[in-house]
Amino acid sequence: MRLLAVTVSLGAALLVTMTAPSYAAGGDAIFKKSCTSCHYTDGPAKEKTIADQLAKKGPELFYAGSKFQKDWLTAWLQAPKPIRPMKYNSLTDKNAGDHPKLSAGDAANVSEFLMGLTSKEVKAGVIQAKSNVQGKNIFGKKAPCSGCHEYSDKGVLRGGKSGPSLAGASKRLNPDWIYAYMTNIKAFKPVRDMPDFASVLNPKDLENVAAYVATFE
Amino acid sequence: MSRFVIVTAAVLGLALGAAGSAQAADAKEVFDFYCAQCHGVKGDGKGVNVTKDFATDPRNFTNKEDMAKRTDEDIKTVIRDGGPAISKSPLMPPWASTLTAAEVDGLLAYIRKMGK
Repeated sequence: MRLLAVTVSLGAALLVTMTAPSYAAGGDAIFKKSCTSCHYTDGPAKEKTIADQLAKKGPELFYAGSKFQKDWLTAWLQAPKPIRPMKYNSLTDKNAGDHPKLSAGDAANVSEFLMGLTSKEVKAGVIQAKSNVQGKNIFGKKAPCSGCHEYSDKGVLRGGKSGPSLAGASKRLNPDWIYAYMTNIKAFKPVRDMPDFASVLNPKDLENVAAYVATFE
Repeated sequence: MSRFVIVTAAVLGLALGAAGSAQAADAKEVFDFYCAQCHGVKGDGKGVNVTKDFATDPRNFTNKEDMAKRTDEDIKTVIRDGGPAISKSPLMPPWASTLTAAEVDGLLAYIRKMGK
């Protein structure tokens, strides 16, 4: 009887030991171990002051699943290239391009985890990527996003440097998120250096510029 | 009695000085966060966004002659409602729904000091 108890205990211990690695390889566990010093995933947004925003080392990811495209995210985590020309929260230091790389397996798991973090503020199927004159005019002239955001003009990078680059937005961003972000920016980033354009552009303008940005190569 | 007055005045002076510097720090923080990307941390109009593609020259707040032509109300209006509100470039965006009235007042005072 005593032997049986010991055997059962050993078996249970062995089972725990054997199952532990598969848990550790899960995307949430990898994220907690490797990413939380710079990113947080438990929304809503925590920042209340400029100092709160400046204390962050990287963007909040609690709506990552609504913001990104999964294929892009999985590939980027394995070979990250700068999205922002400048270092996060800096106007003087360039982005060093030193975001950690993940293995293919870890990238797939972390991507799976992040894509599960969605926002109810983002309604699906509202915006289709579409080049349009109105959106182009807003982006470049009327409320010039290009003042702060880089974009590719036939392969040549143009535009401002302080915001995240929008070159390659067609592969990186969910068009519905672009629209939701412009429509209700405070729900995503209550403290940010981007103006609230919903206060000056009407919903149709916002749709047009979101559809236009979503075409960016 | 006179000693009491001096001490009181000194304490009051310190308190006012501290309040003044706190206010200045707030305005600098607001300026550096919202304005410096185009106007530059020094306010000279040479922010990081000002590349050859930038279609206008952001206002140089250190230019005394130029700033003397701008009224306080013009400056507050352009901060709140953007460049087109005073027939200037839309590259100056509207901040009315982002900044409080006190922050706009603080920015005006901070900008004015740059030209002195």
